[in-house]
Amino acid sequence: MTVGPVARDAATARFFDGTAAGQFLLRRCPAGHFSEPPAVACTTCASAELGWAPAAGGATLVSWTVVWGRSSSDAGPERTVLVIGELDEGPWWWSQLAGADPASLAVGQRLRIEFRRGTDDHEAVPVFALA
Amino acid sequence: MIVGLGMTALGKVYDRTPADFAADAVRRAVADAGLQLADVDGLLTSSGVTGGISVDLQRDLGVADLRLLSHLQSYGATAATMVQVAALAVASGAASVVACVFADSPLRPGTSAGAAYGTRAGSPVGWWGLLGASGVVGTNPLYALAARRHMARFGTTTEQFGHIAVAQRGWAALNPDAQQRQPITLADHQSSRWIAEPLRLLDCCLVSNGGIAVIVTTAERAGGLPQPPVHVLGWAQSHPGHYLRRHPDFGLVTGAAMAGPAALGMAGVALTDVDVVQLYDCYTFTVLVTLEDYGFCGKGEGGPFVASGVLGPDGKLRLNTGGGQLSGYYLWGMTPVAEAIIQARGQGGERQADRHDIVLVSGNGGVLDHHATLVLGSAAGAS
Repeated sequence: MTVGPVARDAATARFFDGTAAGQFLLRRCPAGHFSEPPAVACTTCASAELGWAPAAGGATLVSWTVVWGRSSSDAGPERTVLVIGELDEGPWWWSQLAGADPASLAVGQRLRIEFRRGTDDHEAVPVFALA
Repeated sequence: MIVGLGMTALGKVYDRTPADFAADAVRRAVADAGLQLADVDGLLTSSGVTGGISVDLQRDLGVADLRLLSHLQSYGATAATMVQVAALAVASGAASVVACVFADSPLRPGTSAGAAYGTRAGSPVGWWGLLGASGVVGTNPLYALAARRHMARFGTTTEQFGHIAVAQRGWAALNPDAQQRQPITLADHQSSRWIAEPLRLLDCCLVSNGGIAVIVTTAERAGGLPQPPVHVLGWAQSHPGHYLRRHPDFGLVTGAAMAGPAALGMAGVALTDVDVVQLYDCYTFTVLVTLEDYGFCGKGEGGPFVASGVLGPDGKLRLNTGGGQLSGYYLWGMTPVAEAIIQARGQGGERQADRHDIVLVSGNGGVLDHHATLVLGSAAGAS
């Protein structure tokens, strides 16, 4: 499994500071609701006063897909398992699932967030693994 | 009411820009309506994945002093939305003859259809860059995640999706404008390659070049024009607003559940009055979940419903009678809108529905994020 390159911009700088330190940062409003990292308004109460707060790293499986590549080497087309994970704090995240047999997956399975880099000069990307 | 429909050559038509297709489509629609370009005083434009269309289309058409001009974007819901806005404009007197047009030209000679849609331009930066770096590229995996969730919750199967693909190919065989007309079987569907499980190649729409325009005008102005008028009887939109955010209904319920009953209510008709149904079908799954949301079957019962023999030219539901986006052609929301007009007029040839007084049309944009419903009617349906 590989992740691709990504560079930070102003909107993602704080988030990638977090991934570099092994943290998945969520947005949190004054009322304590958590939102997905790209949110600019609270997805529960629409507050625009969002701070950052680290997720604990646990999640459950909402849905999954196996994306098939077109290239057919001897090993067959490349396959990537993508999932939606529901973080224990509530928000959802979309990324790869590392090291899992897709035939064994079921909604509600426990996941945890890990971090991978394309190369050393790229930002660390959150991925899921089976807990 | 809708008095003109213009369709350019569709499909693998190369070396034409979206703006060229759009201008061609508007000219064809104006001619079909028995009008002149100078009669057009309103223009609504919509572009696809390749962009290239804007309010500059006014200049390309050489129409002066428009009273309504705007570029709209709610992705696959835009076509039905344009018809809604045009109907409101002519009802209010803001304009009297409004052209609504969509065109796109993503296909290039020698490249795959998937290549036209699967790429993200530019270097990977920011949140979009992160999504791509995570492996979430293009629309296929996002719809696959939606379809999988429906399957996991309700027991829906890939074979049930296949019934939709087979039925629509059956309709496409009767449509000379369709890109894929050779019959397929359920076995063909089941042996087509995986794109993003649980979606196979034959679960996914085509990619097409071309343009389609419609002309909307008042009942007064429609009198004496050559084509059977198609009445715009009802409309509604629904935009759930959770794209790439937590959404408990993701893959289970779409905006059609709100917009469908609202549009039928505005039209003053019941679902049982609907003669013909044209649903946005970017994937087979989209058809299945929209049928549930409109109430053709219960929530979660879409799989058994589509496998019950109700679909296709031999079934009793007149659904996506031109082959839809799966087998006909993919011009976003204009695919269902155009076939709805053809059917309401009674001009469907071999595929024409016997009863065609009330036609229900859906538009779907994003990943089930934007929905627009239209209820169209023949002269008899409007009375």
